[in-house]
Amino acid sequence: MARNLLVMLGLLAGCYGFNFVMAEFIEVVYVDYINLCGLAIILAVGLNVINGLAGQFSLGHAGFMSVGAFAGAYASIMLTYGVIESGPLSFVSMGSFLLCLALSGLSAAAVGALVGAPTLRLKGDYLAIATLGFAEITRIVLTAQDAIGGPTGLKRIPKMPLLPGSEKWDGGTSTFWIYAFVCLVILLSVNLQRSTFGRALICVRENELAAETMGVRASRMKIMAFVYGAFFAGIAGCLYAHYQHSVRPDDFTTVRSIEVVVMLVLGGLGSLTGAVVGAVIVTLLPQFLRPLEESLGLSGLSMVVYAALLLLMMLFRPQGIFGQRELSLKLLRRLVPGGGKESRP
Amino acid sequence: MNRLWMATSAMALVLLGVHLTACKQSSDPAASEDIPIGVYLSLSGANADFGVTTKNGIDLAVEEINAAGGIGGKKIRVIAKDTRSKPEEAQTVAKQLATQDKVVAAIGSVESGQSIKAAPVFQEAGIPMVSPSSTNPDVTKQGDRIFRVCYLDDFQGQACADFAFKDMKATKAGLLYAADDDYSKGLAGFFREHFKKLGGEIVAEATFQGDVSEFKDQVSAVAAKEPALVFVPVYYSKIGLIAREFRKQGFKGPLLGGDGWESEQLVQLAGETLEGCYFGYHYDPEDADPKVQGYIKGYREKFKKEPNSLSALGYDAVYAIKQAIELGGGPGRDQITEGLRKIRGFKGVTGTFDIDENRNARKPITMLKIGGTDLKKVKVIQPGDIK
Repeated sequence: MARNLLVMLGLLAGCYGFNFVMAEFIEVVYVDYINLCGLAIILAVGLNVINGLAGQFSLGHAGFMSVGAFAGAYASIMLTYGVIESGPLSFVSMGSFLLCLALSGLSAAAVGALVGAPTLRLKGDYLAIATLGFAEITRIVLTAQDAIGGPTGLKRIPKMPLLPGSEKWDGGTSTFWIYAFVCLVILLSVNLQRSTFGRALICVRENELAAETMGVRASRMKIMAFVYGAFFAGIAGCLYAHYQHSVRPDDFTTVRSIEVVVMLVLGGLGSLTGAVVGAVIVTLLPQFLRPLEESLGLSGLSMVVYAALLLLMMLFRPQGIFGQRELSLKLLRRLVPGGGKESRP
Repeated sequence: MNRLWMATSAMALVLLGVHLTACKQSSDPAASEDIPIGVYLSLSGANADFGVTTKNGIDLAVEEINAAGGIGGKKIRVIAKDTRSKPEEAQTVAKQLATQDKVVAAIGSVESGQSIKAAPVFQEAGIPMVSPSSTNPDVTKQGDRIFRVCYLDDFQGQACADFAFKDMKATKAGLLYAADDDYSKGLAGFFREHFKKLGGEIVAEATFQGDVSEFKDQVSAVAAKEPALVFVPVYYSKIGLIAREFRKQGFKGPLLGGDGWESEQLVQLAGETLEGCYFGYHYDPEDADPKVQGYIKGYREKFKKEPNSLSALGYDAVYAIKQAIELGGGPGRDQITEGLRKIRGFKGVTGTFDIDENRNARKPITMLKIGGTDLKKVKVIQPGDIK
């Protein structure tokens, strides 16, 4: 526990330095890409617990994200301005922001438990359809709420809070906040995979009946997986709202849920490293293809390349880039020529 | 396996190379000889039609200005970015335009959702943004550098109510709109409010949600109350189906709509069922004004297509920026912002307008009547007419 806290503190300091480098030396456009990657990683790593570890095929991640986004954004607007109206953006205070993040995570987690409980008896395709339905219902319910802006949603969401010494950073502190949660979700997930809970989730995925026989409460495990994944989706939603300064229910369509699933499948379902790499590729590919599109004058080219890439992937490497393997020091040593021999006794 | 890895990494490297070189070109310092104007629109994806049409209008105006020697000897350079019909992508490209391409002004977008996402980026960077056709009231509330050259949904709704009550002498009106669409819901709300204020009565209201194609229940609910006319503020893809259903159920009164009705396919989709119906529009294509006719002729020659209101608004947005540069004293970001605030009596294709203190265009709305395959102007409603 103490070791983990120390690691987290070290990572936070690293994120602070990372944000400093971003704000001082890197063009805003690339900082934007890096931040978008961070948001995608939080989503993908969260979903990896539901889809990858527990093997529950969920297509409702955008739903959890929207709950977190609207809860956090509404709280943040109320705490900062006290009223919903248009005007110049300001910074949310540190205390309020942490409160909003907690609120986002917890409200999404609560919804995750609500969705997890009744859909427990569903498997595979049926569960996918049920979660898809849940996400659509959430979106339609949010669209109908005039108190949170109806179809145009919430606007004028404040900027993420300042940090000591960050006043002169042009790019703000988004990178710090996003990557702090990237580190947290990865750290938690690494530990989770090695914990009793994580092993139990894998048991449920591999053979539910056998898991039950061994004393694993499959239903409880599944709910916990949903709660965990939804919590981080909620956090990602809150960060997304503060990053974009506006959220609309239509930002969270089925397309977004599917995008997160694609990240996992591309990277390798069940692999944490795969989730991270998949998130980065799916986020960056359309952006890196943009100059190509513009110079050739072919709008929409990125969609073709994207689809072709997925097709090739499924044909030649259906288990995803990493399969179920993880990038670890051991694997690195094996890749370096001669490195593998030294580690042998 | 190794080969696959090598192929993948090679591809990634090539892409990275292409990307970096492309970025280098666009930040060429020699380019400051001209006036870089950023454009972000849906050039691909579901709403590609909106973006491409608007871009055509922008290109036509820029070509005309540059052919005439530019503005103060400097030529306009358009940097167009595709938002792929995604609002969040609008914010990403706005950042590219603001920092990489160092534009002095931005034009975009058609969809209010995209304009609202991009506005904070331009506002923070100090770049004036002109939306050609986002009619949602929230767009220009995002900052004091966010402008628009189209009328707003509230004015459009009120003008339609005014026309219905005063010109069509209707005292009983029905409403049919999409409850989950901001445009449709907004217009219906402003119509209802103003129509009641004038002394009229809304006798029936029905709504639908999502992408439906069956309007039997809604239409019968409205038609049963026998309103003198029905206000149907929906997009063109729906109005055909709705109009047919009204006629099938024997409703003879006129239908009334907003600029969402506009489409080349309008008459084709609705057949004869829209005969004698009215809708509010951005300009009168039959206007004898040389500005309007010159624009229509130029557009037909360049693109071999019929222009529409989106292209006309894109065209006007460019000329508004040109006038702002002249009024503000130069092509700087602050100068253009100042200039845009000073625009009064701007003569555009879509009518003569002022930019008011809320950075919105105060401009007339043209009521068109559908007759056969023609659209005929019946009335022009000025902002001052609405009380």
